[in-house]
Amino acid sequence: MKKKHKTTKIQILWQMRRWSFSYINWRLTTAYPRGWKYAILHPVIFVKDLWKYLNWCQLIDKDIN
Amino acid sequence: MLTSKIKNITFNSPIMLSSGTFGYGYEAIDLIDQNKIGCIITKSLTLKKRDGNKHSRIHESPSGMLNAIGLANVGLEKFIQSKLSKLNTINTNFMISIAGSTIDEYLDILKVLEKSNGKHIGYEINVSCPNIKEGGLEFGVNAEIIYDLISGLRDLTTKIIIVKLTPNVTYIEEIALSAESAGADAISAVNTFLGMSIDYKTGKTHLNTKFGGVSGPAIKPLAIAKINKIFQKVKIPIIGMGGISSYKDIIEFIRAGSTMIQIGTLNYRNPSLSDQFFDDLLNFCKIKNINNISELIGKNYAE
Repeated sequence: MKKKHKTTKIQILWQMRRWSFSYINWRLTTAYPRGWKYAILHPVIFVKDLWKYLNWCQLIDKDIN
Repeated sequence: MLTSKIKNITFNSPIMLSSGTFGYGYEAIDLIDQNKIGCIITKSLTLKKRDGNKHSRIHESPSGMLNAIGLANVGLEKFIQSKLSKLNTINTNFMISIAGSTIDEYLDILKVLEKSNGKHIGYEINVSCPNIKEGGLEFGVNAEIIYDLISGLRDLTTKIIIVKLTPNVTYIEEIALSAESAGADAISAVNTFLGMSIDYKTGKTHLNTKFGGVSGPAIKPLAIAKINKIFQKVKIPIIGMGGISSYKDIIEFIRAGSTMIQIGTLNYRNPSLSDQFFDDLLNFCKIKNINNISELIGKNYAE
C-alpha cells in the first residue's frame, strides 16, 4: 500500500500565503479577545498557539485524507 | 445535478459554509470558487459588540476542536456599516447568523437587518446562547422558548429562517418540531457538543471557560444520529453538519436526512477544501448516474 505523504509545518505555512490580511485578522480575532493586539502583546502565547495549530493541521489531514 | 432547494431559493450546491468558520463571509472569498458554494453563513451577530471569552478559547483536540469563543463579533451597527456592503458584492448566497441573550434582542436585530440594504437571503438563528431571563439556560434546550422565539421572528420576515439546534438535549426532535410549528423554513443540526479538556500534568483545563463545544470529525457519528432522529419527525429541510471532512461524509449526511450540509471545523484547516468536496460529489453523481443529489435524502437502510 502506498504510504501517504505527511504535510510538513513549512508546507502548511506556505499554504497560508494566499490568506488575505482581513482573513488573518479575523482568525486572530477568533483566537484572542483583542485579536492581533493580543497576539503582539503576548508573543510567547502566540507562537505556542501557532505551533499547536500546525500540529493539529498535520493530525486533521489524516481525517481529510 | 447538485442543486438543492429551501423555501423558494434554489442553491447551485448543497454545500454551505458554517457560521463562525469563514469570517463574516467575504474575508476568504478569493480562496473559494463561489459557484461551488450554495451559501455562506456569517459569523453570529449580537446587538452589541462582544470581545468574547478570555484566552484560551480554542483548543485543538484529536480529530476535532474544542472552542469557547463566546460570540466575539463586531455588533450589529458596525456589521451594517462596514461588513454588509462587502458581503453584498460576493457572488453566492449568504445568510446572517443571529444570536442574542433575550428574545427581544433577537427580534431587535432582525428588525434592523430587515430594513438594511443587505442582499442576504435569510437568517440562521443560533439558539445555543444563554437566555438571561431563564437563568442562563440555553434557548435551544426548551421547546416552548424556541416556539416563542421563532414565531416572533417569523412575523418579522419572509426570508428564510433556519434554526441551528444544539445537540445537548435528550430529544432534539422535539425541539425541531417546535421550530417547525413556529414557522422555521429549515433546521440546521448540529451545533457543537459540550466538551472539556484537562492538561494531565497541571490539572488546568485547556479552555479558560472550563467547558466548550466540540466539533470536527470526532462528532460525526453523533451528529448523524441526531440528524436522522430529526428527519424522522419533521418535514422541513435539514442542513446537516458535524465533522464533514470529505464528499463521502456529505453523502452520509444526505442519506441520514440532510437536504444540504455545512462545512465547519475543516475551514480552519483550509478554507478552500469545500471546492474539492464539490468536485468529488459531482464525480460521484456522474459515476452513479444520480440525476440530483436530493434523490439520496434519507435513503438509508438497516440490514
